Amino acid sequence: MSKRASSLPEEKAGRSPGKAAEKEIERLAGGYHHRILWVDLSRGTAEAVPFSAAFALKYIGGRGFGAKLLFDQLSKIKDPLGPENMLIIAPGPLTGLYLPGGAKTSLVALSPQTGIYGDSNMGGSFGAELRLAGYDALVITGRAEELSYLWIDGGEVKVVPAPQLAGKGALETEGLVKEEIRSEEVRVAAIGPAGENQVVFATINCDWSRNAGRSGMGAVLGSKNIKAIAVRGGEDLPVADVAGLRLLTERSLQQLSSHPLFEFWQQQGLMSVVDYVNSAGVFPTRNYRELVFEQASEIDGFKMEKEYKIGDSACFACPMACGNICLVKNGKYRGTVTEGPEYETACMLGSNLGIGNFAAILKGNQLCDDLGIDTISSGNLIGVMIEAVESGLLSPEEVDGMDLKWGDDDHVIALLGKIARREGVGDLLAQGSRAVMERWPQLRPLMVQVKGMEQSAYDGRATISMALAYGTCDIGAHHNRAWTVGKELEAGAGWTAEDRVNLVIYHQTIRPLFDMLGVCRLPWIELGFDEHRYAEYYSIVTGVPHTLDELLARSRAVWDLTRLISASRGVARKDDYPPPRMMERPVEKGPFAGKVVDRGEYDALLDLYYEKRGWSAEGLPPAERAGDFSDPLT
Amino acid sequence: MPKRLTVVPERCSGCRLCEAACALAHFGTNNPKKAAIRVVTLYPHPVIRMPVVCRQCAQPKCRENCPTDAIVTENGTVKILAERCVQCQQCVISCPFGAIFVHDEVSAPFKCDLCGGNPQCVAACPKGALQYVPEHQLGQASRLATVLRYAHMKEVEYVEKGERKKLRYAEIGSEQARK
Repeated sequence: MSKRASSLPEEKAGRSPGKAAEKEIERLAGGYHHRILWVDLSRGTAEAVPFSAAFALKYIGGRGFGAKLLFDQLSKIKDPLGPENMLIIAPGPLTGLYLPGGAKTSLVALSPQTGIYGDSNMGGSFGAELRLAGYDALVITGRAEELSYLWIDGGEVKVVPAPQLAGKGALETEGLVKEEIRSEEVRVAAIGPAGENQVVFATINCDWSRNAGRSGMGAVLGSKNIKAIAVRGGEDLPVADVAGLRLLTERSLQQLSSHPLFEFWQQQGLMSVVDYVNSAGVFPTRNYRELVFEQASEIDGFKMEKEYKIGDSACFACPMACGNICLVKNGKYRGTVTEGPEYETACMLGSNLGIGNFAAILKGNQLCDDLGIDTISSGNLIGVMIEAVESGLLSPEEVDGMDLKWGDDDHVIALLGKIARREGVGDLLAQGSRAVMERWPQLRPLMVQVKGMEQSAYDGRATISMALAYGTCDIGAHHNRAWTVGKELEAGAGWTAEDRVNLVIYHQTIRPLFDMLGVCRLPWIELGFDEHRYAEYYSIVTGVPHTLDELLARSRAVWDLTRLISASRGVARKDDYPPPRMMERPVEKGPFAGKVVDRGEYDALLDLYYEKRGWSAEGLPPAERAGDFSDPLT
Repeated sequence: MPKRLTVVPERCSGCRLCEAACALAHFGTNNPKKAAIRVVTLYPHPVIRMPVVCRQCAQPKCRENCPTDAIVTENGTVKILAERCVQCQQCVISCPFGAIFVHDEVSAPFKCDLCGGNPQCVAACPKGALQYVPEHQLGQASRLATVLRYAHMKEVEYVEKGERKKLRYAEIGSEQARK
């Protein structure tokens, strides 16, 4: 399989992307093809750009590659939705391999939601297939002349005009593209109407229901006039020690499947979190006003198993199968099939909106997947709208005549469609929290967001380390970089500020490492899988021995890099604070009633956080740090 | 006792560990496209994840249609002899299940050889969707269902509070009750 020619678009066929790749570069024994597919839609070119072993080892892959490539082009990017922005789709060196959870792909761009560094990741099989096609990453820049899909068939790269896909749902689009290519075995990532309409929290959906949900990556793809990306490949993934990999994975699978919670995890996946979080009194309810939901047992994992679940769903090569395929069997949402919800969706489209009807959550989940909008941001913003109308800050007339109330699923479903199609008040919500605050400054105390990204389904008041995690997360108020709720609830009683800061920084270092390696963090979080195992895997795959500490140091460096990117857009200490709702409004219900994030305590944490990161009191890395990231690809 | 590799599609999560394990066992490489098993996923109408793999037919169409006698049955396992194969792909087209695979880096079409009696896909499957069972067990589940149906009974497996349970219940009158 040596052919590596390109045609992009067919009439503009020219460059063979193979030639550059043949250039002499130092290669690792495994882990990488040493090839990035670089597609410029405006110029109509596709090139395979090589990178050296030194580059691979320093940035590892996934968001590490994404941040570095974005950093290199940063001065050229003005508008996140302009053709000059890049969308980097980067699996990691462990993606697609025979190991548990090797399915993750990072999507990186300057975010239209926040205006700063943005990334999101998705599972499924798309990333594995991109690697099988012979690429370690895909970079998309420019803009196609008309709505098209990108078709990467190994070495053949085409931009196929597809005006007929305009306005189609992401799920429908996946089906239509597969039909056109005449194969159920290609992998497709697609945007819904929200991505085309550049909703700032539009998602990219792959393999039917695996979403890159945050940072508005779907809007970036939509701004490039690309409706979908189809990929197929069959190249061997290079591995230095194949026998070692097999042995280690046999051991890993054995360990995971013998964990006492393994079967329970397969049954409920992340839905098991609902019960845990609600019992602990930290379950965001009614726009984060309360932290206990009286109808939690109507929307938890047990309810799902008993009445809705019809099957498991897993990402590539993962035994944990955390996806739940659900079917609504009766009632007004009868016939709704969706993969999900997972915890965040159950909370943001459930308790956070006062909805205790699981079927409505499933309908909302399915709609969000198909329309291509983030369930977290959508639920968060709709929660604000309901509270605003209920408390009289907005009149129903200001929200298209909808008399919004907690638990009113009909209006929620209607609003999801309005957001994606940008109709009425949906047009404003589609522009995110910042636009809402600008239009209606009286809503500022209700907004739960950091850096323009709506907060996900955990609260910062019960555990201040979580407030710090949200405040300092590099993409905005997202939980995946550091999730310290469980630890602080269990053991945080006697913690010092230093304990909290150390935990947040450790999480912000190890969790992004998973996104760099291209693996899922859930085996580690949920089933106690040894994190050192990933260093073992990286060593076996690349042939270069590594310890976990060495890998963590590289992840830490990438954190500085993402901060530099955002700092160039003005991010500093002022942007690292939790929203007013966390700092001024006490929790209304549950064991943490009355709690707020204390400003003084938070300031002290932040000071210490910057100090430990080696940043200034204003939250900026030293200026000379930028020089550490100026190395070339080869 | 001859054994059969059998598929329980309703248990499959679509993770494709079987594909990864198969390619490693046969070609020593991380490349699911070199696996002799392939999971096909359909969604959402209907939702199906089904591993497709050779059933080791007793009267294999692939063998019947091979013009060079490159396909033989040895101890119940249908095998492709690469040295006799002319790569006409007739077997690939003939297989009613699509369970014979090709890859441009592999010299002949390839298919499941049951790993000499220890199928690696079965070992890797985390859901029990692939089973290697004595031949006489095949059809057991359907037989039970038939017998239950005779008594207007149904058996369902379900999970309650993390515990797997079985329930047999009479279906008499249920059609009317539903209306």
